[in-house]
Amino acid sequence: MELLDRYLQAVARNLPRHRQQDILAELRANLEAQLEDKEAALGRPLTQGEAEDWLREIGPPLQVAARYLPQQSLIGPSLFPMYWFVLRTALLWAVVIYTVVSALLIVLGQASAPAIPLAILRAPGVLFTVAAWVTLIFAALEFFSARYPRQFAPFVLQTTHWSPEALPPLEKDPHAPRSYARAIAELVFGFLFLIWMLLIPQYPFLLFGPGAWYFRHSPFQFAPAVLFFYAWFVAFNVLQILWRGIDLARGAWQHPHPLQNVIFKTFGLIPLVVLLRAPGHALVLLKNPDLDAAQYAANLHTLNQGVHQALLVVLVIVVLQLLWDVGRFFRDARNRAA
Amino acid sequence: MTAPDPPNSPVDPIFENLRLELRRGCLILATLAQLRQEHYGYTLRKALAEQGLAIDESTLYPLLRRLETQGLLLSQWREEDKRNKRFYHLSPLGQQLLTQLLAEWQSLNDSIHRILNQPEGRPESQNQPQA
Repeated sequence: MELLDRYLQAVARNLPRHRQQDILAELRANLEAQLEDKEAALGRPLTQGEAEDWLREIGPPLQVAARYLPQQSLIGPSLFPMYWFVLRTALLWAVVIYTVVSALLIVLGQASAPAIPLAILRAPGVLFTVAAWVTLIFAALEFFSARYPRQFAPFVLQTTHWSPEALPPLEKDPHAPRSYARAIAELVFGFLFLIWMLLIPQYPFLLFGPGAWYFRHSPFQFAPAVLFFYAWFVAFNVLQILWRGIDLARGAWQHPHPLQNVIFKTFGLIPLVVLLRAPGHALVLLKNPDLDAAQYAANLHTLNQGVHQALLVVLVIVVLQLLWDVGRFFRDARNRAA
Repeated sequence: MTAPDPPNSPVDPIFENLRLELRRGCLILATLAQLRQEHYGYTLRKALAEQGLAIDESTLYPLLRRLETQGLLLSQWREEDKRNKRFYHLSPLGQQLLTQLLAEWQSLNDSIHRILNQPEGRPESQNQPQA
């Protein structure tokens, strides 16, 4: 029957080369025997429609041929959990790094006006590339571990071998009530920290150590922005101490207000922004610019620019942490409402 | 006995998937058992269907190849009814494995019966007679 011959030809195209003729001969013999039985039962040859229905029941040629191929997964069950973990981690870090780098390029003015939409449009391509590389590496590992099991057995064993002793310690429940001892300790250490900060202007060695003497006799001085930053930082710590003290007095130390962390982080951004908005991004100035500019100006400029860029990175990280905390706050609020 | 589910109920696809998984587990045992007598692909499929185990040819024929690659079956081409056919039968290793698999299947069957026969709500250990 011509239709059967065409069907077998289509199956043959997808069979493994070295066994193609052998498999095809066997399949033909079986299908022809089946066809004979059908025609004997009907007492006549199959019509075109009946033959097509019969072949449709057997299945598409590609699928029929695929069943003769060795069973192989792109990434098998033993490697898949590790692959999934690595993929999620790699994508998460790719998002973070891409966001930080793009933000820095935009802020430092090295990108043009449509930079933000362009950065957003490029993001899927970056993530796809990362996912493709991770998948390719694990697919190669799967392929070679199936072909050369003895050589790759130690690696596969490492992904499945584990020891109960290596389990991480129990995580503290973030919603567990805070102990009174901890609340007192936070207040006491906060107070001590505040005293230390208040003593720094009088005794700079408390912060800089022996470098305080060098700085005093150097041609450098802090810009007014740094002093402004210091004042804000002290105020921020006073706020923290007051709030925690009020919680203790009210007996509310066990469960601080859910927004407390978010508010502290938000206020913590202010001193950072003060530093970043320093005129000319200069946090360290020359005491006598007329005398010392020729010798120190270039290096001082490089130092100030470096500090400014480092502060930008810190700002991005703190903002990301703040967004994370805000997201967690809303998630917890939703869970409490449910 | 519970009433049958209505047609197109949500249980149908779930039942179909689980039914296929259950049958898949028995397929190799049934094939090896049937090949205590010599068959070629089509007659093997007919013999299994007559015993209540209908199998797709696209599942059975590649399975025969795999079992032969594993050394459980032996095959030879022979002419019958003016057509060359590949006949399969159990190898000595296949015979040995069939015996082991039958014992394993029997043990599983007995375990299922014990689970089904224990009174509801009481674990097996509580069914033991008290001293």
